Amino acid sequence: MSRPRRDPRGERATKTITAAGRIRLDVALRAARAAASGRPRRDPWREWAASLVDETHRKRYDRSQRQMSREEAARFSTVRDTIEATAISPGQPALRVIEKPAFLVFAVVEAAGGRLSRFDRQVLGAARLLADAGDGGGAVVAVIAAGATAGDAARGDDHETGLGAAGADRVLVLEGGASPSGRSAAMLSAVEGLSPRHVVFAEDGDGADLARRLSVCLGEALFPAVEHLTARQAVRALRHAKAEIGLAPPRLMTIGEDRAKPYEAIPCEARRLDLGPFAGAGGTAARGDDSAILSVEIIPGDPARLSLSETDFVVSAGNGVSDFTAFRALAAKLRATPGASRVVCDAGLMPRAAQVGASGTVLSADCYLALGISGAPQHLQGIVGCEHVIAVNTDLHAAMIERAGLAIVADAQRVMPALLKLLGEAGA
Amino acid sequence: MKTVVLLSDARHAISGRATLSGLEARAISLAAALDPAPRGLHAGGGAEGVSAGLGHGLQGLDVLDLPEGADPVPALAAHLQAALGKNDAPGIVLAGRRGEGGLETGLVPYLLADALGLPILADAVALRQGEAAGTLVVDQAMQKGARRRVTIRLPAVVTVHPLAPPPRPFAYAKMRRGEIRFLPTAEAIGDTAGGGNGSGSGEERPHRARPKLMRTGGTAAGAHNLHVGPEPEEAARLILDYLEANGIRRYGDTRG
Ligand SMILES: Cc1cc2nc3c(=O)[nH]c(=O)nc-3n(C[C@H](O)[C@H](O)[C@H](O)COP(=O)(O)OP(=O)(O)OC[C@H]3O[C@@H](n4cnc5c(N)ncnc54)[C@H](O)[C@@H]3O)c2cc1C
Repeated sequence: MSRPRRDPRGERATKTITAAGRIRLDVALRAARAAASGRPRRDPWREWAASLVDETHRKRYDRSQRQMSREEAARFSTVRDTIEATAISPGQPALRVIEKPAFLVFAVVEAAGGRLSRFDRQVLGAARLLADAGDGGGAVVAVIAAGATAGDAARGDDHETGLGAAGADRVLVLEGGASPSGRSAAMLSAVEGLSPRHVVFAEDGDGADLARRLSVCLGEALFPAVEHLTARQAVRALRHAKAEIGLAPPRLMTIGEDRAKPYEAIPCEARRLDLGPFAGAGGTAARGDDSAILSVEIIPGDPARLSLSETDFVVSAGNGVSDFTAFRALAAKLRATPGASRVVCDAGLMPRAAQVGASGTVLSADCYLALGISGAPQHLQGIVGCEHVIAVNTDLHAAMIERAGLAIVADAQRVMPALLKLLGEAGA
Repeated sequence: MKTVVLLSDARHAISGRATLSGLEARAISLAAALDPAPRGLHAGGGAEGVSAGLGHGLQGLDVLDLPEGADPVPALAAHLQAALGKNDAPGIVLAGRRGEGGLETGLVPYLLADALGLPILADAVALRQGEAAGTLVVDQAMQKGARRRVTIRLPAVVTVHPLAPPPRPFAYAKMRRGEIRFLPTAEAIGDTAGGGNGSGSGEERPHRARPKLMRTGGTAAGAHNLHVGPEPEEAARLILDYLEANGIRRYGDTRG
C-alpha cells in the first residue's frame, strides 16, 4: 500500500506547451505520469482501522490525530494482528534516533515522584520545537536534578517516566544535591560543558528558581514566562499583560504553564548522557549559601485541607451517596480532597467550598473519582481538565459513566465500605 | 531580628497608578511577625504608592532617590551593603517573587543576593525564628500543597509567594505617622536600565491575548473499561488498581 503519490501540479507543468500566444496543454502526453513526488500515499482505510478504540458495543474512533503511543501500538497489534502496528504511518521509524545532534536544547524537568507532569511534558514539547526549528537536527536533553525521587526514576526505566515519548533524545541527571545552590552549580557546569543553544525551564517552583540563579551565574539575560513560542520568536507579556516583547528564541527562557504543546509524534530514544569530563567542575561557581542552609525537610500537603483548585486527586459525592461518614473516611484514606455535586452542597451535606462544577470549582486535578454523580453538563464542565475519571453509579446510561476512563455500575454505598476495607488491608 | 522589606515600583493593574504590590504587602505582614519595627526600602522616584506599606505595618521607609527607569539593583546593593556592615545589621531581606506592572522578571532579588553575597530562598509562605540564634525557618511553597521547610543561617534574602497569609489591614493613621527617609544615591549609580532584566533587544508592543492550551482529558483512556454490576470487593480492587496503574497514589507503602 505505498503507491507513489501523484503530483497533479507537476504533471500539469510538464504537459503545458509554451508556444506563443496562450498556454496550451498536451492532454495526451503520457510521460507526464512519471513526475511523482517521492512521498507515499496515505491509506485512509488503514488510518481508520488504527483509530478504532473500542469495538464492544458500537464502534468508537479516536480521530484526535495523535500518533499512537508505544503501549497503544502494542495493544493494537495484538488486537488486530492483520495490520503491523508500526506501519500505520508508512515510511516513519518506530523510534526516532538523533545520532549526531547539530546542537543541544536543554529542557529542565522536575518529574516529581518519578512521573512527568503535564507541565514537564510541555517544557519538553517546547524544547522539541526549538530543536526541530530551522534545519532541525538538534537534540533535546531532558535535565533532571538527582536527589529527589526523580533521579531514581531516570536511572531506571525510561518507559515509566515516559521521557522518550515526551520528546527527549538524551537524559542528563544532575548530581548536585538537593540544595538550590548545588543544583545551580551543577546546572552551570552542564551548560558550560555542553553549551546548549537553548535552555528551557518551567515558570513554576524550582524550575523558575533555578532559571534565575543560572541567569545570574552566567550573567546572561533570562526571558521569563514565555507566552507564545514558535521556531522564530518567543513572546512574553509584561506590565500586567498590557504590553509584550517578542524576540528570536533566546538562550535562557522559562515557559508559562499551558503555553507550549507537548510532543506527541514518534518516541525519541531518551539515551542516558554521561556527565564525562565536566562532572567534577561543579565547584566553580559555588555560592556561599550551601553552608547557610542548615536543614531541609519536605512536608507533604494534607489533601483534606487543600483547596479543590490546588489538589491533584478529588473524590466527589453526588446525590447517589447517602452515607457521608463513610465518604469522608474514604476521602481521608485515599489521601484525596473531598468534593461534591451541587445537589449535595445545596442540601447542606457538604460545605459550599466543596462544590465541583461550573458554579463551583473548576478542577485542575489529575484524577477524579465520582461516586453517585449523574454528570450534568454543569458538573462535567468542572472536570474537563481531569485526565483520569473514575465513576461509580447505578445507572449505566449516566453521562458520568460515559465520561469515565474506568466506569463501574454498582451501588456506591456498597463500594465505599469495600474500598475502605481494602485500603485498611493495604495499609496494614 | 532586623528585617528589611524591598518595595518595588508596582503599578495598579487597571489604573496604572503607583501602588503597593500585593506580594510586598504580604511580605510586610510576615516581617512584622518577626521584627517589631520592620523597615521598607524602595529605590525610585518617590514614595507614592509604596508609602501604603507604612499603613500595613512598616515602621519606617527608606527611599533611595533614582531617576525614572534606572536600574535599582546597584543602589539597593550599595545601601544594603552599608547597612550590613553596621551594628544592627538587617538579618532578613524580604521581597516579592515577581514585580507587578513593570518588567515582571523576578530577577531583582537574585541579582541583589548575588551582589551582596547572601543566600537566597524563593517562594516563602511562612517564616519562623529558628531554635538557634541567627537562624530562620522558611516554609517554601511547592506543588500540590506540599511545603519545604528550610532552616537557614542569616543574613539571607527571601522572596514571598502569593500563597503566604493575606496582608494586615491597612490603617491610614499609621501611614501618616510613619517616617519616610529620602536618601540620595551615589552619582556613579545610575542609568544602566534593563541590564540583565530580560527585556534585551526586544521592542515593546501592545499585548495580544493568546489562548492557553485546552485542558482536555478523556482521550487519554485508551480502552473504555466498563464493568457492569461487579461485586463490591472486585469494584474496589479495580479502582485501586486503576489509581496505582496511573500513578495517582500508591497505597500500602508510605511514600504515596
Ligand atoms: C445554572 C446552574 C449551575 C449549576 N452548577 C452546578 C455546579 O457547578 N456543580 C454541580 O455539581 N451541579 C451544578 N448544577 C446542577 C446540575 O445541573 C445537576 O443538577 C447536579 O450536578 C446533579 O447532581 P448529582 O449528579 O449529584 O445528582 P443527580 O442528578 O440526582 O444524580 C445522582 C446519580 O447518582 C446515581 N445513584 C443513585 N443512587 C446511587 C447509589 N446507591 N449508588 C451509586 N449511584 C447512585 C443515580 O443513578 C444518578 O446518576 C447547576 C445547575 C444550574 C441550573
